[in-house]
Amino acid sequence: MFRYLARRITQSALTVFLTVSGVFFLIRLAPGDPAAALSSPVATAAELDRVRAQFGLDKPLINQYWIFIKHLFTGDLGTSFSFQSSALDVVLSRLPYTITLAVTSILLTTVIAVPLGVWMARNADTAREFGANVVTIAAQSMPDFWSGIMLLTIFAVLIPVLPAAGFAGWDGLVLPTVTVAILQIALISRMVRRDMVANLNAPYLVVARARGLSNGALTWRYAMRNSAIPVLTALGTRFAAMLNGVVVVEVVFGWPGVGSLVVRALETRDYPLITATVLVTAALAVLVQLLVDLAYPLLDPRVRLGKGATS
Amino acid sequence: MTATKIAAATAGGDSGTTNAAGQPTATGATGTPLLTVADLQIELITEAGVIRTVDGITFTIHRGETVTIIGESGSGKSTTAMGILRLLPPGLAVISGTVQFQGVDVIAEPRAIEKIRGRTVSLIPQDPMTALSPVHTIGRQLVEAVRLRRPELSRAAATDRAVHLLEQVRIPHPRRQLSSYPYQLSGGMLQRVIIAIALAGEPVLLVADEPTSALDVTVQAGILDLLLDLQENSGVGILMITHDLGVARLVSDRVYVMRDGRFVESGEVEQVVGEPRDDYTRALLAAVPTLGSWDEDPDAGAAAPAGRSATASAETGETR
Repeated sequence: MFRYLARRITQSALTVFLTVSGVFFLIRLAPGDPAAALSSPVATAAELDRVRAQFGLDKPLINQYWIFIKHLFTGDLGTSFSFQSSALDVVLSRLPYTITLAVTSILLTTVIAVPLGVWMARNADTAREFGANVVTIAAQSMPDFWSGIMLLTIFAVLIPVLPAAGFAGWDGLVLPTVTVAILQIALISRMVRRDMVANLNAPYLVVARARGLSNGALTWRYAMRNSAIPVLTALGTRFAAMLNGVVVVEVVFGWPGVGSLVVRALETRDYPLITATVLVTAALAVLVQLLVDLAYPLLDPRVRLGKGATS
Repeated sequence: MTATKIAAATAGGDSGTTNAAGQPTATGATGTPLLTVADLQIELITEAGVIRTVDGITFTIHRGETVTIIGESGSGKSTTAMGILRLLPPGLAVISGTVQFQGVDVIAEPRAIEKIRGRTVSLIPQDPMTALSPVHTIGRQLVEAVRLRRPELSRAAATDRAVHLLEQVRIPHPRRQLSSYPYQLSGGMLQRVIIAIALAGEPVLLVADEPTSALDVTVQAGILDLLLDLQENSGVGILMITHDLGVARLVSDRVYVMRDGRFVESGEVEQVVGEPRDDYTRALLAAVPTLGSWDEDPDAGAAAPAGRSATASAETGETR
């Protein structure tokens, strides 16, 4: 188990390192010049060169990378061009907002999608389920910027009960959470439905029914318990994705999270800030994935972690 | 063959003349039948249209009797078993006729089956490997079945009863097996666990839907032997569904040969095997490569080779 953990953590660290390195080169290959973004539109070539020299962008790419690596291992991800402070600190200051939004969204998703999926499975192929199908497919097809703006219009403008943007209080969390959750509920509930239908028709369930178990016990104790693995995997993956920042929703609602930060970093070609964002979000994503994997053996006795590695 | 069974078979043989419809006019047993099936019809709604899978079958099972429905794949025998237990999906199966468990009609009152399943009647399914929830221990599923029948038992008392049931089905180290998961047991052991779970409901009737088809031949004999012993001790009635003549010969009091949803022949097992009247039964018997002489006292060991040959031949026709 410890060997498995050590191996997984090493793999995760390597994944994050390779991701960050890839981004390091890709953003420098992408069109756009941070010096031009930082200087005034009428800056001369000499002024631009001076800005480049200030941030070390005049050096050959491989030298820049070498400096980046050396600093990376001391925990220094460089200074953000636009914030003029530690890029890592800027990202970390935004992280609580993103984590808050991700946690509330995944909770709302779970609380609604799982019962909804179970209900659809129990009413599979009936007129009632057809109605739910229409709703979930519609929700799945709505772009989040559109549903976000619609919610804004209704609940912040027409009936001004909730704040339109920013994080002034906890009520500012409602609209972004709902906007993020709509799509996830649609996706996850359809997935729960699919797995539950498979389990509700599984031979073991028919046999369990034959021994006199009630519908409630069959649904929750048996079918849901057996559907838990794929559902948990999906929720974990969705949660990891949300931790990377829900870019569009954060921009629509002026949410001060990592998602809106990354947009600004990209607009200004703020290389250290982009790299720091990618590092932090990639680390979070692999951490969530690791936690999901560690939960597998608790849910399925047939899963043994590190099989083959420890033998 | 047990003494009771021979007596029952003899009594049945004395009076068991069959009428034109293929129904025995009398049986050796008396009292309210455990199961009365009359003019049972089952239609399955499929993509290809409505298929009448079971077309007007009639039979009864009394205490201590084993009644076998034998037929090839698609003959409707498993649908019959599932239909009697009301385990077919309600939207996809239309059932009519009469199915009475000790007088309670579960076709007329569909909800009545909920009090009957796991109490009056238990199911022994076809494939033990898929018949238990893979993520729950055997103990959890067995104790649950015990407490379903006897909610008054404490957890400890229910566990003791579970251990006793596992002993009854001859599982070694029963207490230790309680914490095993289904994937840790062999098919034969799992089928014993499933029989134990079926017995937890203290049923008067067992519906065994090809209980040995998924098992090795050597294991098959042990399971059938176990079922016969349980029947001798408790007088439980058994509805045996099989495609295997060897199984049918070993366990049955009466045999119904099913084809295309109807019984083409029925009667005492010796009579059906020894003097088949229907062409289909003859074809079925002819498919057994080496049909040895009918032994009045087949023990489990002698039955095994017969079971193997019958299985081998029947399986060539099985497309399951």
